[in-house]
Amino acid sequence: MRCDECRDLLGADADGELMPEESNAIREHLASCSQCTAEHDAMRELSRRLKDGLDRPRAPDVLKARIRSSLARPTLPGASAPAPRAWRTSVLAAGVMIAALSATASYAVARRGTFEPSVGEQVLSSHIRSLMPGHLTDVASNDLHNVKPWFNGRVDLSPNVPRLDSLGYPLVGGRLDYVSGRSVAAVVYTRRQHVINVFSWPIDRGDASAASMSTEHGYHLAHWRAGGAEYWVASDVSEPDLRRFVELFERAGGTTDPK
Amino acid sequence: MAQRDVEAFERLMLPHLDDAYGLACHLLGNEHDAQDVVQDAVLRALRYFDGYGEGDPRAWLLAIVRNCCHSWHRQHRADRLSVSYSDAADSPNLHRTPEADTHAIQSSERAAIGRAVAELPAEFREVIVLREIQEMSYKEISTVVGVPIGTVMSRLARARKRLTVSLGLSVREAS
Repeated sequence: MRCDECRDLLGADADGELMPEESNAIREHLASCSQCTAEHDAMRELSRRLKDGLDRPRAPDVLKARIRSSLARPTLPGASAPAPRAWRTSVLAAGVMIAALSATASYAVARRGTFEPSVGEQVLSSHIRSLMPGHLTDVASNDLHNVKPWFNGRVDLSPNVPRLDSLGYPLVGGRLDYVSGRSVAAVVYTRRQHVINVFSWPIDRGDASAASMSTEHGYHLAHWRAGGAEYWVASDVSEPDLRRFVELFERAGGTTDPK
Repeated sequence: MAQRDVEAFERLMLPHLDDAYGLACHLLGNEHDAQDVVQDAVLRALRYFDGYGEGDPRAWLLAIVRNCCHSWHRQHRADRLSVSYSDAADSPNLHRTPEADTHAIQSSERAAIGRAVAELPAEFREVIVLREIQEMSYKEISTVVGVPIGTVMSRLARARKRLTVSLGLSVREAS
């Protein structure tokens, strides 16, 4: 094999796209050619740097919610896609989303023969609704001393608000939400661009269960009971990130103080 | 479109939204336009879902995203695809891990890599992103970009040659 032939194929070889005999020919040539070996090493180094160093942006929650809400819209024959910026009419988008969620809820009712969507479905609906512009927080603060007292008198427990900023999960605030027929505390964290909602409400102190994870419509849910509170966490961060969040939250959380 | 088709579409295509968005960010140079274009592309994909067939759903969706990025550029700018992503790579708080931020050296290396890739012509940049980030095979890349596998291979080789030069890895100057 000549040097120029070898160099043309080095990339494809590293990508695993060559036939075995071609790869072998390159191997043989490299064994006897220091210049091509240097080229080969540079190629590997480039690939390593690109893999480590190139940004891998993940689609933000808000974009995913917008796309899901536009897919849920009934597609009329001949209906054209909305103009790219039409989503900014966020009131409409929120309305569509809520209609879609009600449709999901009715479907759940029909399927189960009950009038209540499951708690997990309600948590997920609340999570998606919170991603609509202006719905995420009632109190926006990264200071737990602002967020925790805000819930006083609004819900019947003082929710856990552990400080997880230094661990990669900054606090962004809290809001009042409504799940299972009651007002609940929703504490909001983020992971990179992704929103993590932690819902909690009081239960019997003795009632405890370890965290369990599930996935619905591309969102991950975690659920556990501890220290006199029921917790639900919803997000579309990766599953390992959410698991870690739950571990950190449980470890840092201590117990809640039902009133 | 029947509810059943929308559900099939969601099941097949929505898992690839991160990849779609990543490609759009690199092709358009900023996250804001990428969000608009990805949303538009997904809705188009839904309308053309009948034509999807049995192939690789990710490559099919990314081909539409890529075409939407290119038409976006034709509509908004006459020149080649933007290079402003390098600016985005320099700004704080954009999808960077906190660990990386604590290491100035790493972070300047990341910026250098972002800039080098952003400065590639679009036809080279897209094959690099599809190969190095999305880890697609040449066959999948050829589906997304709409060129023969041989062209994918030669574009990748030329793109890499440029990058080894701009990142100072080259043994010799690129011809």
